[in-house]
Formats: sequence, structure tokens, C-alpha cells
Amino acid sequence: MKKIINLDINGQSQEVTVAPHQTLLQVLRDELGLLGTKKGCDTGGCGCCTVQVDGKAMYSCMIFAMSAQGKKITTVEGLAESAVLDPVQQAFIETGAVQCGYCTCGMIMTIKAYLSSNNSRVPSDLEARQAIAGNLCRCTGYQKIVDAIRLAATRRIATGSQKG
Amino acid sequence: MPSATGKEFLQPNSHQEVVELLVKHGERALVVGGGTFLHGLLARGVLHDLDVLIDLQKVGLSYVKHERDVFSIGATTTFAELAASERVQNRPELGALLDALQYPPAQIRNMATVGGCVASATPLFDLPVAFMVLDSSVRAVGPKGAREIGLHKFYLDYFEHVLERTELLTEILVPRQLSRSASAFLKLETNANDLALLNVAVRVALDDKGTCRDVRVVVGGGIGKVPVRAVSCEDVLKGQQPTLALLKESGNVVSFDIHPVSDFRTSAKYRSTVAKVFVRRALLRALDRLGVHLDEPS
Repeated sequence: MKKIINLDINGQSQEVTVAPHQTLLQVLRDELGLLGTKKGCDTGGCGCCTVQVDGKAMYSCMIFAMSAQGKKITTVEGLAESAVLDPVQQAFIETGAVQCGYCTCGMIMTIKAYLSSNNSRVPSDLEARQAIAGNLCRCTGYQKIVDAIRLAATRRIATGSQKG
Repeated sequence: MPSATGKEFLQPNSHQEVVELLVKHGERALVVGGGTFLHGLLARGVLHDLDVLIDLQKVGLSYVKHERDVFSIGATTTFAELAASERVQNRPELGALLDALQYPPAQIRNMATVGGCVASATPLFDLPVAFMVLDSSVRAVGPKGAREIGLHKFYLDYFEHVLERTELLTEILVPRQLSRSASAFLKLETNANDLALLNVAVRVALDDKGTCRDVRVVVGGGIGKVPVRAVSCEDVLKGQQPTLALLKESGNVVSFDIHPVSDFRTSAKYRSTVAKVFVRRALLRALDRLGVHLDEPS
């Protein structure tokens, strides 16, 4: 039985009609038109559907939309402030970490969550790779993504910033 | 992707309510913890007749307690919450648990629940193997009341455990471990999201002379319908001073206890070969946690 629910998406309350089996991924893309979050494997293996729920990286393809009520959902659309890119987005551009772009949004959501709770030092190459272990990329071979993580972390520490 | 034609999504506020709903809806209903395992089944069209989803997040089962020497972990505690809990840090005896929790990626750690992992009865999962090596049990509630079942008696077959459909797994209980004991866990996987091709958990307890007064070895992954206790490996070390040669022998005899399968992931022969190495390495890690360093020659 479909129900009307309210979801907090990027700080805005959105009213949507959802069915019990619908995933958050389906609702974001099909009901709310937020296409940054991508559908890949749809079974929690590839990571391109990654969003943040109360600041924690999660696979939106595995979340029932109805259980997302009362939580703060952040998608890639919620990162940049008008024309100013989020520092992780900026780092991705500067290091050339985007090729086809399909994994990119999910990667950035995972990385932002990681850097928020690991902000005392720049992660090593291995630590950065482990941080994105839940996100697959077919194009880049990961190195430039790792470079972007370390660049964003370096800047974050240098500016003492809470963002990034 | 096929999905459930689910007609209801319910969010009860107590485990008693959950039991009432399970009794009311019978086979049409399934509880949802983190939903990570459930979604995989839905995507493969296995649960197409599921009508009622019972979300457990408001039932109050997210906790890690340590009372009267027993750790009780609420069923909806996520992997990340358990790994971060101060109650399980710096305890070599619980090393196997913390090792097992490191393998999945962040997204799974943030979503998957301990109870869901144990209740899935998938021998390819990791936490149940780690819990088994620690002699853990589960607590379940149902219409006839509550009961506690040792994990070694909990699993019957692939995806089959002893609970009735109307019972809810509420807690995993880890008893007090022997003094001077440590545990460790290793998993063979092809990538971070993969199921175990093989996994091994060990627990070693030493007496004050450094002799192994208790050894426990549990093997999971593609080695049988349920995780297996490798008694042959244990017998090699019990009552002995651990040496590299004995650890190697303990690893080698694991082939008496497991029945690996060949599947699309790997062959039975490869699983057998790696099992010998992993038992040895897991024992080395556990002993290392007890301050006994038997370094392998490089």
C-alpha cells in the first residue's frame, strides 16, 4: 500500500508517495529527479548508488525508502554551494579522477564521509584505497581517485576546515 | 530488477510487537535489520511472495552491553557500531570479532546488522564464524517466550536455522572467555564486497607455563553447509607448547574436518590448500596477541 512520506533530502523536506518495496535509490531518481545517485548493480556491490544517511555512507539501493524517514539524507546534489564546488569535487577535477563519471558521485559521497571522521592526517595510499573498497571504478584504475582523496585531505588539514 | 510486491512496511516499537506481527502475518512477513542481505535476495527474485516487511530499527535492539562478564549485543547493532564500541576494544580474546568486522566496506559496515548476519544462516558470512569460535549463543523471543541457543546448534543447513518463523533473534551473547586467551579471524576474498571463499577463526588460551590449555578452530566459507569446528586442528595443539612446527601440523590436518566445494569462485582443492595456511596464520596472530611471537622465516 503506497504511503505519503516526508524525506529530508539535502536539508529540504520532500514529500513523496512510495510503495513499501521501493528503495531510496528508486525514490531519489524516479520520484525526485535527483539523478546524481546512480544505479549500477542494484545489489549493494558496486557503490555508485552511495549516499550519506546521517553522515554515514550507505548503499541507497539497499535502503527501503520508508525506513529513511526521520534521517538526514545527503546526495551529491547537496554538496556544492551554488557555483562553489565541494573540496572533494574540486580535487577530483584537479587530479583528473573522472573518466566516464559513472562511479564519481558515489565515490565522492564515500570519500566525504571518510574524511569527516578521519581528519587528523593525510591517509596513506593503502588507507585511501581501503576507504573506497566499497566503490568500483572500471575506468581509472583508482590511482587518480586516491590522489584526489589525499589532495582533499591535505587541503582540509591545511585550512583547518570542517568542510571537505 | 524484480522486487517484492510488498504491500506493507511496518515499523513496530518493541520486540513484543514484532512477535505479534510475525504471528499475525506468518509466511507473508519478514523482518528487516539492515536490509543488506534481504535486498540481495529480492534482486534475485527469491522473495517474490513477500508481502509484509517489518523494520526493526525502532525496536530498541541496538546496544553493546557487558554485564556479569557476558557481552550482549543487540540484534540491530550495525557492524560499525560494534567495531566502534569501547566495550570490545583492546580485548585480545575478542580479536576474531574485530578482525571479521574489518573486511566489509564502509557502506556495509554502516548498514548491516549483527543479528541479520547471524540470522541469515549463510555459511559464507564472517561474523557467525567469529562468534562461534567464542562459544557464543543467540537469544530469541517468540510467542512461547524467550530461549537461548548455542551457535554451534543454531545452524542446520544453507539459510536454515532452528528458529521458528514467529521467533525474533534479539541478542547475540558472548560469554566470558578463559583468562590469557586471544582469538583471530582471516578471510579469503577476491574483493571487499565478496563473500568468503574461505574463512577461519581461532581462539587460543594459554596457561601460566605457556601451554595451550584450550584451542578452538572454526572454518567457514565454501567448506560445507554450516561452519565447521576443526577438531583435528585443535587436538594437535591442546596441552602442547606452541611451536611453528606444531602450528603447521595443526593447519595441515584441517583437511580431515572440512569438505570444501568447487564453485564459480574457486576449486575445492584451492580452498583445502588455503585452509591449511589460514589456520596456521590465524593461530600465529592469536598467539601474537598473547605476546607469543613465533615469527615465520621469510
